[in-house]
Amino acid sequence: MVSGYLTIGALLFVLGLVGFLTRRNLIIVFLCTELMFQGIILTLAALGRQPPGGSAPNLDGQVFALFLLAVAAAEAALALALVVFLYRYQPTLDAEAWKRLKEP
Amino acid sequence: MSILAVTGVPTVILALGAIGLYLLLPGRPSRIRGLAPLLLAITAGALIGTFLSRMAGGPRGWFAAFALLALIGAVRTITHPRPVYSVLYFIVVVASVTGLLVLLDAEFVAAALLLIYAGAILVTYVFVIMLAQQKNPATYDLQAREPLAGCALGFVLLAILNGGWQKAPTIMPGAPQAGLGSPLQLGSHLFTSYLVAVQIAGVLLLAALIGAVAIARRRGEPEEG
Repeated sequence: MVSGYLTIGALLFVLGLVGFLTRRNLIIVFLCTELMFQGIILTLAALGRQPPGGSAPNLDGQVFALFLLAVAAAEAALALALVVFLYRYQPTLDAEAWKRLKEP
Repeated sequence: MSILAVTGVPTVILALGAIGLYLLLPGRPSRIRGLAPLLLAITAGALIGTFLSRMAGGPRGWFAAFALLALIGAVRTITHPRPVYSVLYFIVVVASVTGLLVLLDAEFVAAALLLIYAGAILVTYVFVIMLAQQKNPATYDLQAREPLAGCALGFVLLAILNGGWQKAPTIMPGAPQAGLGSPLQLGSHLFTSYLVAVQIAGVLLLAALIGAVAIARRRGEPEEG
């Protein structure tokens, strides 16, 4: 019954991953991590509704989804602070502009 | 070969979707771009049809509607060249995922998701876009980076996941429990079994708050107070 929900969760995660890899705008890159979080939250709730192994529905999946919300909020705050900080140095949102930060 | 035999149709569907997504990413020539909505529509229709044929009971119509909205919103989020529209489409994704969570008896998580994401996080995103975005779409928004490799990677990942599910034994769902996702049950579970984790989450949020203030403040700015 929940396989449809799991597939939608996986599709959302993979779409977020593709966007994360292909987009060059820093804000969109971080938005794509939020898209991946949506897929994971859906997967957790679906697996809590029908746990593998045939046990009864329990609340562990939903509890983990709530913790994921807290992590997502922390990640968004830090990521956007970082974008604002970088934008002050160089007024562009292009991820390629910060190429020299990566290892040669 | 055996995996291909089992998952033949969905793998073809996923490949069509990957090609459609590749064509829709920013920077492709406009004459082949018109093909993308057709490919993606075929993919979405085939996927939803597959789910509906496998679902024995439950609210199939609502599931189909929310799944379709979530997929359309996600595709447009990562392909729209204007960041503000990407954020608006992401709100569509959040609303659809909220609907799917309600269908999964997770009412409290659904409400929290809508409040925190659509209410708080997305507003912050819109603020930062207003601060930093130029008026016209910039070149880095009109050109995707390595779109072929990205779409191929996504396709491979999904195909592997899909093969694993097809071989998994189907489990009969347990009987639904009354009020499984209600705030009362979830809260009592959260504050008994997961009490330490709740405290740690609070510390994490505090650390993120202090970190964001420390990062975003200008260097050499005089201390307040």
